[in-house]
Amino acid sequence: MDDLLFRRNIYADPKTTDPEVIAAKKSDPAKQKFAQEIEQLDQHIFDALNVRVPEELSEKLILRQSLASHQQQKKSSRIKLALAASVAFAVGLTVNHLQFSHAYNSVGDYAIAHTNHEAHYFTNTTEAKVTLASLNKKMASFNGSFTAELGELMMADFCRFDGMKSLHLVFKGENSPVNIYIVPNNQHLAFMEEFSNNELNGVVKNFKGSQIIVVGDKQEPLKQWQTKINENVRWSI
Amino acid sequence: MATKQVRYEALVKALHSDLYRYAYWLCHEKQVAEDLVQETFLRAWRALDSLKDEKAAKSWLITILRRENARRFERKRFEMSEYEEATIIDTHSTSSEQEIENHWLREKIAQMPEEYREPLVLQVIGGFSGDEIASMLSLNKNTVMTRLFRARNQLKEALDNEPKLRGQYNG
Repeated sequence: MDDLLFRRNIYADPKTTDPEVIAAKKSDPAKQKFAQEIEQLDQHIFDALNVRVPEELSEKLILRQSLASHQQQKKSSRIKLALAASVAFAVGLTVNHLQFSHAYNSVGDYAIAHTNHEAHYFTNTTEAKVTLASLNKKMASFNGSFTAELGELMMADFCRFDGMKSLHLVFKGENSPVNIYIVPNNQHLAFMEEFSNNELNGVVKNFKGSQIIVVGDKQEPLKQWQTKINENVRWSI
Repeated sequence: MATKQVRYEALVKALHSDLYRYAYWLCHEKQVAEDLVQETFLRAWRALDSLKDEKAAKSWLITILRRENARRFERKRFEMSEYEEATIIDTHSTSSEQEIENHWLREKIAQMPEEYREPLVLQVIGGFSGDEIASMLSLNKNTVMTRLFRARNQLKEALDNEPKLRGQYNG
């Protein structure tokens, strides 16, 4: 190995492990001396480069990291909370919508559906047991009363008429029970004076603050029922 | 989480000194070097899962730090001033001859072109081989070895030619 190449190698890396360079160093005292000089130089360079590291730099680094990751955690838990709240809110809206939205558009549709739904509870042979007094007690919440019995009353109870509190009366009819609903006036069910499907007929009359709906089978003289109601009902306001 | 924390702390303890020194020789300012190291370790923490081989940690961190340093120049171009003598580290005690020589040599190293200084710092402080330096700096190995040769050659010549200048620091 010539001197120039040897010097280049030593300058470039005094700690070289290149076997050729090491062999050259051993075989020539001048080269060895040069190599030692450069090693010494390198020690000086090392000392010079080794500037003082600020004390507690590592503590600072660890502290800063834990602060940063703490903040990140706080941020992410806030995001999670917000997400959970949004989901809960959406669920609430959906439930609310499903439960309280109005599936029927007109009084007639709903009255028929309601009647059919509860038809199996009543037969025309059920014994009449509701007195006028107890009927009027219930009618009081609609600010109304009846002056005389309309017929044989088998059942009188509050129920939900498409979400609205209403009074459901079941009378004995000619062939099958007659259902009368007293419902607060409302916006979302379209008013219709008469309605029917292939089994049931119905009539509706608007009173002050309330509607009275009568539903019965095709043979039932609903107009007579309506007239009787008209004559006997009294509204207190 | 706990193991990540442990890994991180081990990394900080083992490598922060080398990284700080490397940063210092990159920017010549103590405060900037410290900021660079902090920024580097914060990024390292976020990306710690991507570090598969602990042996590669040092070169990984140096790569992050170099990128941070480059970003610094993008952000604040005016800070890219030439090296100023006033910012060189003042040795805390100039009493010993060794310290005087260190101080003198530091100035020489600081005045060296960046392209020579950086491989030298990586070799002497970082302990990296020519191949490793080449891949870190995206250079070929011959270029790296040539620069290392020139760096030491310059310092040697400076030491040989200006022995009197060193004496001035005695006063």
